[in-house]
Amino acid sequence: MNMHARTPLPLPEDELLHEKRVLPQIEFRGVSKMYGKVPAVRDLSLTVRRGEFLTILGPSGSGKTTTLMLLAGFEAPSAGDILIAGQSVAAVPSYRRDQGIVFQSYALFPHLTVAGNLEFPLEMRGVNAADRKIRVGRMLERVHLRDFGGRMPSQLSGGQQQRVALARALIADPPFLLLDEPLGALDRNLREQMQIEMKSLHKEFGITTVCVTHDQEEALTLSDRIVVMRSGRIEQIDTPEALYDRPATCFVAKFLGEANILEEPDFRIEFDSAQPSGTVGMIRPERIRIVAPKESKRSDADRRQSVTGTVDDMIYAGPLRKYHVRVGGTVLIVREHVAAGQPTFRPGDEVRLDWLRSDVRFVAA
Amino acid sequence: MSSFYKLGQMPIGLTVPAFAILLVVFGIPTVLLFLISLNAPDFSVTNYYAFFTQPANVRVLFQTIEVSLVATGICLIVGYPTAYLIVTASKSLRITLIALVIIPYLTSGLARTYAWIVILGDRGVINNLLLGLGLIQSPLPLIYNRMAVYIGMVHIMLPLMILPLVSAMMGIDRSFVAAARSMGAGPFTAFRRVFFPLSLPGVRSGSLLVFVFCLGFYITPAALGGLRDAMLSTFIAAQVKSSFDMSRIATAAFILLAVAIIVLSMVGLDLSGTQGRAANPVRKSWLARLSIIRNLKLYLSELPRPYRAKRWAAQLYQAGTASRWPQIIGRVFVVLVMVYLLFPGLIVVVMSFSAGAFLEFPPSGLSLQWYRSFFGDASWNGAAWTSVQIGVEVAILSTIVGTLAAFGLSRMGPGSRSFLTMIIITPITFPVIVVGIATYLGLIELGLIGSQTGIILAHSIGAIGIVVVIVSATLANFDRTLVQAAKSMRAGPLQTFMRVTLPLIRPGLIGGAVFAFLQSFDEAVITSLVGGLSVRTLPLKMLENMRNQIDPTIAAVASLLMLLPLLWIIVFYVLWWKSKAKAQNTLPAPAA
Ligand SMILES: Nc1ncnc2c1ncn2[C@@H]1O[C@H](COP(=O)(O)OP(=O)(O)OP(=O)(O)O)[C@@H](O)[C@H]1O
Ligand SMILES: [Mg+2]
Repeated sequence: MNMHARTPLPLPEDELLHEKRVLPQIEFRGVSKMYGKVPAVRDLSLTVRRGEFLTILGPSGSGKTTTLMLLAGFEAPSAGDILIAGQSVAAVPSYRRDQGIVFQSYALFPHLTVAGNLEFPLEMRGVNAADRKIRVGRMLERVHLRDFGGRMPSQLSGGQQQRVALARALIADPPFLLLDEPLGALDRNLREQMQIEMKSLHKEFGITTVCVTHDQEEALTLSDRIVVMRSGRIEQIDTPEALYDRPATCFVAKFLGEANILEEPDFRIEFDSAQPSGTVGMIRPERIRIVAPKESKRSDADRRQSVTGTVDDMIYAGPLRKYHVRVGGTVLIVREHVAAGQPTFRPGDEVRLDWLRSDVRFVAA
Repeated sequence: MSSFYKLGQMPIGLTVPAFAILLVVFGIPTVLLFLISLNAPDFSVTNYYAFFTQPANVRVLFQTIEVSLVATGICLIVGYPTAYLIVTASKSLRITLIALVIIPYLTSGLARTYAWIVILGDRGVINNLLLGLGLIQSPLPLIYNRMAVYIGMVHIMLPLMILPLVSAMMGIDRSFVAAARSMGAGPFTAFRRVFFPLSLPGVRSGSLLVFVFCLGFYITPAALGGLRDAMLSTFIAAQVKSSFDMSRIATAAFILLAVAIIVLSMVGLDLSGTQGRAANPVRKSWLARLSIIRNLKLYLSELPRPYRAKRWAAQLYQAGTASRWPQIIGRVFVVLVMVYLLFPGLIVVVMSFSAGAFLEFPPSGLSLQWYRSFFGDASWNGAAWTSVQIGVEVAILSTIVGTLAAFGLSRMGPGSRSFLTMIIITPITFPVIVVGIATYLGLIELGLIGSQTGIILAHSIGAIGIVVVIVSATLANFDRTLVQAAKSMRAGPLQTFMRVTLPLIRPGLIGGAVFAFLQSFDEAVITSLVGGLSVRTLPLKMLENMRNQIDPTIAAVASLLMLLPLLWIIVFYVLWWKSKAKAQNTLPAPAA
């Protein structure tokens, strides 16, 4: 049933849209950006692969927007070089580059209709009026806004505005797409819906995408790879699963999800392999098992480390239960799925915690 | 050429045309004037000594301060309750009242002064009426005294007091007052302890505004006052006409300027101290003067907006008082103030249709003879045409130069921006007579005295400041990411400007141009100094006629000028309301 909607109109400029594009590779080489004496980005080297969805994730002020602005050509690097398809673009003004950008505030032109907004990038590229109309119509259809072409941007809801912004960035078929906190202004429900929508658009257009966000969930859902930034530097680059499962640093571990840090003297870590120097042990809350102290040991007990502690606090979170358990001077977070017959511990209860030694990760402190 | 282009790229480069005009026509001459007053190159204070040892001078100086203070005081006493009652009125009433205050604000000051001559004169409306009724035998001395000066000055200044007060009061969060009431404060206590302190910023900016304007007042006191009611500006203008002793003129001008600055900083510092404000209050107050222009937009955009704040302030003063008297008294008061603001204009309009050989009120018959005389007399319509020409050229020049400057300023850091803005707007913050003298000096150097070009430059220095303020306010609301968005879609700098920036700031540009035109079209003081004998603008022609009172054609001219603000209001309303309505219209428009 999708067939009908997806069937392209038989038109000459169709070739333009579905032509096999040479997607460029984007490369940052030792890029730094100073604002006066403040370094916003420091010695950043990074390769964005063809067609991938790369997310830059980091706390506020870590240099995400600056990195994106450098790539878009709105800021010039203080040092280093940016290459697109092997060509340095440091000296190319933004309006000579070929890119689609979705701004955090969407930046829809308030004096133009939705259709007028979509036509703008085509007009600037010299597409004639008849072709513009056709392409705008098709694009509106694609983002489920067929009847909205005549509206002003202020007459749209937040999610609709977001889709117009996305459509406007994609309509001229640019080789890469930049997104600055694209879903930041939307409420939670809409956000999830748009994440799916964006994922499918990315697949369909196959466009190299760089997205900036400070929402870890968004990053985990959308990205092929994630760059975690911290005060202007890259902390780690990897796929979402790898980042969550094998964070390189304590910062990454804590920034993506919750992390328990196991340190002396409360924890003498019993390990399978040698602990590298300068690292601490880290275990995710869902990897810890919580049981009554008297409960009999399991069969895999020899592969587990176990400690005893007191429940400090218990939080219901839908299908999850979250415990804060005090072990010596440390509070460990434990998360478990609620299953039938499982005991609920109350604050003050004595409990035993155990985990597989292979689940402990060593992260740089 | 390329370095010239680079200059245009830098923020400061865009302000160069504005500063060049300002410096040559006004800045350098002001410094020269100061040096002359100090007897440069010998440098002495003998001129100032000479000024203060002449009792007549000192008397004029004190009189200037006294008249300004009293006029400001009356404006405050009348304006505060008026503003309060406007704010507490129902939505439609409030909008009407604000419009009724804006109309005189936009009306030619000359026309309004003329109206008082017609009303208060020996053969004026009041005396004629009283004589006709047989209540008096000979005309009462209503004009050419201090009282008439106050009536005329307060009439012109009152909107400048009411408008900042209204905007300050509208900004007060009603929950504060409600909170005070909930804590058991009676209506009066809530007013005194909460509402009044919160309205003080409006009181301060309104008072400073009015006071500094009054200090430089020239035409109204000269036209309505007696010989003994001379203000310092009258005195300076007389010196220019008679002796032209530049060092005396310069000294008097700088004394006037010094008074303005001293009083401003005293009042500014005092009030800000009680509020613990850190920002420079003097600078604020200078800028506050221009906020009226900026707020005009606010008032007008209020018109179509649904009324949000409830009538909390009305409850504040009704609750607890069972009697209806306060309400009735309030209504009567507002009606009286509005009559005072608007009636003189109406009288002139009605009289301008007099059929007799003189102006009468009420007219014994109706005719268009004075309008015919205006349009038929070359000296009148010629002057009007000259004024329109000058006004249009001033509007074009200052809109271009001022917009460039506003763009440059918008790209600077906040520190240098507010400093340079303050400098650019000095010509509208100095007492007008001082600006006139400085400009006169500047145009002598340029050899442009008595030329139309000279007048255009002289008017432009103030008009540029107005344009900068209005366009800056527009740019402050302009989202710069729209420019980035356009550029990311391959729009070059020129295309970005034409397709995105210009359409969005157009209302500000037109507003700036209209105010620039108004500034020029109504200007009489500077023009009379730099116009020489050859250029006759409409205000100069009116001024001459007001003094001689021979030609009733002036009534027709004044009436036409009174009707002009209605045109401006329609222009602004269409300009601002339409753009607002467009943005707020939630009806789905079907796709084409
Ligand atoms: N125009 C500027 N002038 C001076 N400093 C700036 C400027 N823009 C950014 N900075 C500084 O550079 C650093 C990085 O800023 P950036 O905007 O890239 O952070 P971000 O990661 O996008 O943060 P957020 O999540 O809050 O948007 C910050 O310390 C910021 O204060
Ligand atoms: Mg950012």
